[in-house]
Amino acid sequence: MLNRQTHLRQTSLNWLVIAGSVGVCTLLSLIHVPALEVLAPDWFLIWVVGWSVKRTVWQGVIAGVALGWIQDGLTSPHPSHAVALALVGGLTALMQKQRFVSEDFISIALITFAMAMINQTVIATQMSVSTDLPLQDIWQHHRQVALSSAIMSSLWAPLVYAPLNRWWSWLQEQE
Amino acid sequence: MAVFWRWWGRYAGGLLLTVLILIGAWILRETNGAAIREFYRLLNLPLQQRGDEQQSLIQARTWQLEQQLAELQAENARLRQLLNTPMLPNLEGRIVPVIGRSSDQWWRFLLLGEGSRQGLSIGGVVIGNGGLVGRITSITPNTSRVMLLTDPASRIGVVVGRTRQMGILRGQLNQQVIVEFLEKDPKVQPKDTLFTSALSSLFPAGIPVGEVQSVELEDPTRPHATVILGVPIDRLEWVTVIPYAEPTDTFTPN
Repeated sequence: MLNRQTHLRQTSLNWLVIAGSVGVCTLLSLIHVPALEVLAPDWFLIWVVGWSVKRTVWQGVIAGVALGWIQDGLTSPHPSHAVALALVGGLTALMQKQRFVSEDFISIALITFAMAMINQTVIATQMSVSTDLPLQDIWQHHRQVALSSAIMSSLWAPLVYAPLNRWWSWLQEQE
Repeated sequence: MAVFWRWWGRYAGGLLLTVLILIGAWILRETNGAAIREFYRLLNLPLQQRGDEQQSLIQARTWQLEQQLAELQAENARLRQLLNTPMLPNLEGRIVPVIGRSSDQWWRFLLLGEGSRQGLSIGGVVIGNGGLVGRITSITPNTSRVMLLTDPASRIGVVVGRTRQMGILRGQLNQQVIVEFLEKDPKVQPKDTLFTSALSSLFPAGIPVGEVQSVELEDPTRPHATVILGVPIDRLEWVTVIPYAEPTDTFTPN
């Protein structure tokens, strides 16, 4: 009985941590540093990568869709961010980090870097298909944005990943 | 049947949670993140300083007024010949703080710290120190979102102040703004000032927009010019919002 109660408490605390960390990432994404527009990291992407690293593909995809929709709400839903983030979540989970890559901040940064590139590429592809902007402009913009977003996101990724990872592995130990 | 119930017993919790999460995220999407924006504004309240921006506001407004004056003089000359021209709009509005930006590098928005409760509405015209900034496209009780002139989806009818040449101002992905002209030989040169055109239904006519930087006429199918906006959009902290409704067919002189 007691065991069951602590389990319930841990589960609800876990959901609180998940919702809270998503909330923090969402609010961080609205902050703007004047004249440093290009240097903003993609907080949604960082969270999805951190979440998916040790989870199943479906968990990654669903997290990607959910955060993509939230990002749609904050920017523009045409085209949707959910496609790119779902792909990122799925791919990250597929990498099965614990098996192929050693677990440290560097590898998280590397994964985030690659995923940010993929994320921007998917968005650029969606833009090419669904808007009437000149293709040349889209891909030129993609080049600049993908690189800066990848660099900044990978620099910030460990900051989001470290506490969340510690919390989730502690939870796993308890079970 | 038994298999189904066993399966249900095992996965029902996860399934329900998944559905709940997706519904929640979808609601956030459909409401343009209203809850998040309101909450962000609440957190941001202590960071908004009021009052000590007055001096820079006044300075930059001077440039804007000069441009408007030049426009008025040109207008006046034409009014002598043509008595039926509509008057310039009255640019009195509400000064509103900018509290955030878009979280994305493909679309450009500003987040303002006031909304419908303070009397703003969708379509409100946003003007910064130096000229036009954009218009309000989404609103919550205490925040509003502004689509910027530099947004790639933005299209605005403009007119060259000196020659009254019409053009269409378009945002670009790389933060530049260009004007495309309808005629093959637009009489335009660098340093010409652009204003919103009377044919644009989204904006009142005669608001200064920016200055022509360079003119490119090599491509005869698309004569265009690069424009420097009058407003330093990167550094905006305060803007003026003018309530604006699309004009009906008859002009009401004010």
